[in-house]
Amino acid sequence: MTYRRAVAGGALLGIGLAAFVDEAVFHQLLHWHHFYDRSTLGAGLVSDGVLHAGSWLATVAGLFLYADLRRRGGPPRPAWWAGVCLGAGGFQLFDGLVDHKLLRVHQIRYGVDVTPYDWAWNAAALLLLTAGLLLWRRARRTDRSRHRGRMAGLRG
Amino acid sequence: MTAAGPLLLTALLACTAYTAAAARLRRRGDAWPWWRQACCWLAGTVFVAGAALPWQSWLPPFTAHMAAHLAAGMAAPLPAVLARPVTLALRALPVPGRRALLAVLHSRPAAVLAFPPVAAALDIGGLWLLYRAPLPPQTHHSPWLYVHLFAAGWLFTFAVLAVDPLRRRAGLALRAGTLLAAAAAHAVLAKTLWAAGPPGTGYAPADLRRAAPLMYYGGDVVEIALAVALACQWYRAQGRALARRSLPARRHGPGRGGVPGPVPPERTPRPLRPSDHRPRHQEASP
Repeated sequence: MTYRRAVAGGALLGIGLAAFVDEAVFHQLLHWHHFYDRSTLGAGLVSDGVLHAGSWLATVAGLFLYADLRRRGGPPRPAWWAGVCLGAGGFQLFDGLVDHKLLRVHQIRYGVDVTPYDWAWNAAALLLLTAGLLLWRRARRTDRSRHRGRMAGLRG
Repeated sequence: MTAAGPLLLTALLACTAYTAAAARLRRRGDAWPWWRQACCWLAGTVFVAGAALPWQSWLPPFTAHMAAHLAAGMAAPLPAVLARPVTLALRALPVPGRRALLAVLHSRPAAVLAFPPVAAALDIGGLWLLYRAPLPPQTHHSPWLYVHLFAAGWLFTFAVLAVDPLRRRAGLALRAGTLLAAAAAHAVLAKTLWAAGPPGTGYAPADLRRAAPLMYYGGDVVEIALAVALACQWYRAQGRALARRSLPARRHGPGRGGVPGPVPPERTPRPLRPSDHRPRHQEASP
């Protein structure tokens, strides 16, 4: 099941990409939120730490999975991109709902009304997830039509 | 820094012993890659740079300690494990020494220590004690602390990479999961140091605010390098498996009477055109 592997690898890379963009743009370029927020709960800190470490390791794992799929004849492209969109969207939604709202690790921005920022953040996440699901459907269809009507052992 | 001399001497002796052992192997006609030797000297250099350089005269006290901690406890152990000192010792020692070393390696305490979660708990637990237990204030600048940090970091890296022969090698999933958990614990500890320094010390807030991000992002760099080393292991193992599986595929093509032989799983030829990835509508069966 190459296409399942492609979705998994894409998702790992998507998580890593979303985390990298979050860290680079919002933390380091815009300085909207800081290295440490004094109102943070212990659980929030731990979640933040796992997410941070996991995103880097997911990036490495995703890139190596991609290399391995290339070696096996290239990942089916819709499946790979479905994974990237699902991973990035899932990360954004988790960060936006669990980290920002439930555990209150940090807010997107301080000193302003944060509601429009929250809505924009989570809407972007839902858009990515939708795109990922549509691509996944296409990837499944492609996979099925490839398995139909060909002799076993020959790549149609 | 009165202990700088002995530390420098010990590191130099260790690297020289390694080089002599590798030379002995090569004289015998065995191969020992030059890059492993380079790794050994790199590890020694980084460790000495961390533990023996006068960081305190260049940086505020806690940031100076953190720079030394990163060099001795994180950056030096990785090349020190990649140099495979245990494998080299097993090959270069005379037979009685080899037997003694094997007995140690195959003993139960060694197996427990090199079990990844145990090694990680020792390494990270020591760090939490160092920064969260009320220790005497001079602890953070003792050279022997850096020796301890190096030893703990080496044990952790040794357990996660598992490149030297042990009786039982932990699976890749367990080693990767251990790395993830340890990296997360390291990041959390670094973040809390931003808010509150070690108890009983009076480091200035500005000092803490340079040291905490240094620990956080410096730790990331070393952990990513570790992850790449692990992923390389996986990639090579997959490649070997692919090569093994594709050999029978070439031998057992379609057999007599056009009946296809047993199909090896996966290993499809690389497509010639991008369109090979897409379904061919003209071939769609009813």
